[in-house]
Amino acid sequence: MIALVLPVGTLVTTAGASGILAAFADPDVQRAILLTVACASSATLLAVAGGLPLAYLMARIPFRGRAIAEALLELPLVIPHPVIGMALLISMGRESVVGHTLAPIGLAIVNSPLGIVVAMLVVSAPLFVLGARESIARVDARLEAVARTLGDDRWRAVRRITLPLARNGIVNAGTAMWARATSEFGAIVLITYHPRVASVLAYDRYVTYGLPTALPVAASLVIVALLILLAIRSTRYADRA
Amino acid sequence: MIRVDGLTVRVPGFVLDHISFTIPAGRVGVVTGPTGAGKSTLLETIAGVRNASSGRVMLDDNDVSRLPPESRTVGLVYQQAWLFPHLSATRNIAYSAREQRVVDNLIELLQLQALLEKPVTTLSGGERQLIALARALARAPRTLLLDEPFAAMDSSLRAAVRRAVLDWASARGMTTLLVTHDASEAALDGSIQLRLDRGSLLAPT
Repeated sequence: MIALVLPVGTLVTTAGASGILAAFADPDVQRAILLTVACASSATLLAVAGGLPLAYLMARIPFRGRAIAEALLELPLVIPHPVIGMALLISMGRESVVGHTLAPIGLAIVNSPLGIVVAMLVVSAPLFVLGARESIARVDARLEAVARTLGDDRWRAVRRITLPLARNGIVNAGTAMWARATSEFGAIVLITYHPRVASVLAYDRYVTYGLPTALPVAASLVIVALLILLAIRSTRYADRA
Repeated sequence: MIRVDGLTVRVPGFVLDHISFTIPAGRVGVVTGPTGAGKSTLLETIAGVRNASSGRVMLDDNDVSRLPPESRTVGLVYQQAWLFPHLSATRNIAYSAREQRVVDNLIELLQLQALLEKPVTTLSGGERQLIALARALARAPRTLLLDEPFAAMDSSLRAAVRRAVLDWASARGMTTLLVTHDASEAALDGSIQLRLDRGSLLAPT
């Protein structure tokens, strides 16, 4: 706990209240925070929409190649994120098939919010899918089986039984993914330096103006992330009370 | 009617081997056998929860072998009850009930009034089994599959509940298959006896 709190606490106290307030008043910081929150939320929603069926499949239905699917899913968690950024650049950059396909409809992955969402999705979605899979697996399959003997088809049994019982774990997995997405730097900095998300802005201030100028920006990001996480946790504990 | 023809079910480390029997419509079949004989596997396969490797399951003259559980109109009650823990006892019973009147009658029949608003996680094993029985009967299934559903009840309650459940099922023309270790249940009047041992049917009578 000390190892977690000490560096972050030192960062915030060194930045000081006046420095942090000034950072919050900075339009660049405001834009960066809004962009970060919006992109992380979009990536999380996309992961929930696509990842929940995948998590269910992996938790409940044996299929050939499941070990390979799981290994591929976990890959972004173990390879350096700049490497993921490079992979995204060559697979989805302007000269790629994806880039050529998106260009006529006015979309681009490089230097665009879409690129940020994609980078966040690739590096963070595994946290959601793996967490959701564990939560679903913890709900005994016989509860679903009983619901089906009571007339529910598979989807209805999942909706009425499995998802409500796995809800806390799924929300936790979504929160972990969102938090990881907001802090992403390595993949994003390669694919989208502009517009700047919060982590890239803090880095940019550091390399351009030095540590004293970057500190209030970094501290403001810590505070925003902490407030959002506290809000999510408070809502959940209020639900349980 | 329950008719099982050459039913074979393979699960890791176990085979339910070429089982055949018939329980006429409205009658009660009693399945006995040692632990690990395949009694629960048999019930789950008839319910469609488990897939058969080969063979056929007929319910009321319909071949349901390829149908999912929700299309078989069966009621399955496990020994562990498997109540939905996020729902109250009332909502468990009414989970798939077609008529509130049936729910009310079952609550009366099994004397469940005191349990209705309790979280099901606080109920005793016997109380859970009562709720699970009511839940299965409330859907008005054509086939009732009971996997030791009275085992957690004390002996005085067990006989009364068994009589009430089987009378309810009989009055509505349900065909029942009851798995039990209880000798008094195994010797039910008019029942058809089936004895399983290590995946094989020893005595269809």
